[in-house]
Amino acid sequence: MHNNGISSLYELKDIKHKYGSHFCLDIPHLKIRRGSFTGLTGPNGSGKSTLMRILSFLEKPDSGSIYYKGILQYKGDTQAGNNTAMLIQEPYLLKRTVFENVAYGLKVRGIRENLNDTVCESLELVGLEPDKFGSRKWFELSGGEVKRVALASRLILKPEVLVLDEPLSNIDPMSISIIKEAIVNVSRRHGITLIISSHDPVWLNLICGDILRMYDGTIVGDGTENILTGPWFEDIDGLWSKELAGGEKIFAVKPPDKNSIAVLNPSEIIISLKRQKDISAQNMLKGRITNMVSLEKRDALKIDVEVQDMTFRCSLTQHAAGELNLIPGKKVWLIFKASSLQWQ
Amino acid sequence: MITLLIQALKERTLSISFAAIDRLVHHSIIPSMNINSYRTEEALKKLKKKMDYIFNGFIEAFKLLFSGDEETFSAIFATLKVSSASITVSLIIGLPCGFILGYYDFPGRKYLKTVTDTLLSLPTVVVGLFVYSFISKRGPLGSYNILFTITGIVAAQTVLILPIVISLTASAIEGLDRRLRLTLITLGARGKQILFSSLFEARYALLTAAVTAYGRAISEVGVSMMIGGNIKWHTRTITTAIALESGKGEFAAGIALGVVLLTIAFSVNFALSFLKKISNA
Repeated sequence: MHNNGISSLYELKDIKHKYGSHFCLDIPHLKIRRGSFTGLTGPNGSGKSTLMRILSFLEKPDSGSIYYKGILQYKGDTQAGNNTAMLIQEPYLLKRTVFENVAYGLKVRGIRENLNDTVCESLELVGLEPDKFGSRKWFELSGGEVKRVALASRLILKPEVLVLDEPLSNIDPMSISIIKEAIVNVSRRHGITLIISSHDPVWLNLICGDILRMYDGTIVGDGTENILTGPWFEDIDGLWSKELAGGEKIFAVKPPDKNSIAVLNPSEIIISLKRQKDISAQNMLKGRITNMVSLEKRDALKIDVEVQDMTFRCSLTQHAAGELNLIPGKKVWLIFKASSLQWQ
Repeated sequence: MITLLIQALKERTLSISFAAIDRLVHHSIIPSMNINSYRTEEALKKLKKKMDYIFNGFIEAFKLLFSGDEETFSAIFATLKVSSASITVSLIIGLPCGFILGYYDFPGRKYLKTVTDTLLSLPTVVVGLFVYSFISKRGPLGSYNILFTITGIVAAQTVLILPIVISLTASAIEGLDRRLRLTLITLGARGKQILFSSLFEARYALLTAAVTAYGRAISEVGVSMMIGGNIKWHTRTITTAIALESGKGEFAAGIALGVVLLTIAFSVNFALSFLKKISNA
């Protein structure tokens, strides 16, 4: 027995797991609090889905240890997988009716009380009319409807952990708000720990307390950081640089490897309305504000600035943003030191 | 003319001359008279007799069936009893074995699958011989006294069709969507629930497997003959009866039983397509 305190539901240590043909998930340490909402972002192939399957106990990592509620998993029969439910990116429906699909999880748990009402309620949550859809067969649904039925069959279980891999992809725009609301409401109401990946960063930022940004199988930041990938080339003054598509250069100190990944904390970036002269910072990039998000819990704004083919995420207090009169579409200068880029 | 004949006899060419005359009559005179020759008539008579023979066979067959001929029905019931029992036993053993072979990855699985696939084409007489050696008085299972009994045939037929059930089940399970396993586990299914839900997902392929195996059981003759011994009123099945009746030249009884066998095969396949239809509707 290993106790890591009540607050952390998951604790992962030295997880290594091969996925795809040549990728390797490498997570030295990760804690996920009970009842928290954790978002996963990162490009395709960065290991989000693999990490999610490991957290759902659908895949055993090649090495490393997972503590769930302080109990080491995959050791003997201590399996807590029963209380996690995962929605995979392209869900599979059982070859039964919609009703039977949603009811399946409860049936295998031996719960038959109020089955009819519970299933109907669950279908309504994802915006499907029970009368119209309940008796439909698995092949009589559109791609988006399949996803919603699959989501309903997970929500109905009210598991301890709900793992949703891209729950909004492939869903028609009309239903997206219904689905978003259903996910958040059910999770909040039942104290479900939510682990979710999405290509909608604004929504993730809005609902998730923690965001994990993944790149090449590792967690490279909390999602607010800027990730700069190589290749890097030696430049003037002993600095190294990377060129953006439009020819702008980003300077950094000597990287450990030509293809190293650099992380730039948003708070290290200064936003200026004019080009600054006589300044020691080596990086000065001209960009355009594309997005501004206010965070519920913090007095901070997240500001996305597009510089050629790259988007930088900056953070500013509401007050400072007000003084600079920042609005989306405005042209600004981003200033940061070469040494602000931290090598991973 | 007479001198010619005598000369021909002397020269031993008489038969040739008669043949020449006969040919002449048939090829030129009879056609021109527009009547049937005795040759044609004889040929037609023979053909009619042959056709009547088969036709009467069918008539007799239906008479036998509709009059409820006890001997015929005894064979029909024996067949139904044996094949139903052997398919049931095969499904009970074969479905879980096929599931394990198709679902889990274990060392030697590939070889086991190859062996099972090979056993699909097991000759019935080899199974008969094999089982016979086990259950005959001198065999290891001789004390059970099941040689020349219905139980004996069921056991041997099970050996015959078990590879069909296992192999086709394994293929059906292998062919299931890879996401099914993740889905069942994440929805909370465990152990037996995964087994039954997976089999249910593959139900159409499994029905086909069962029908294929059943078809093999009702149509085989080698096992029933060797293990059952074709004992009248007891272990005589449709196929062994047909073999016996045709051996005796009693084609009517053989055809009657053949018709029944085809009807059973047709009904089973009809039931299968009906089942598929209602479960899809």
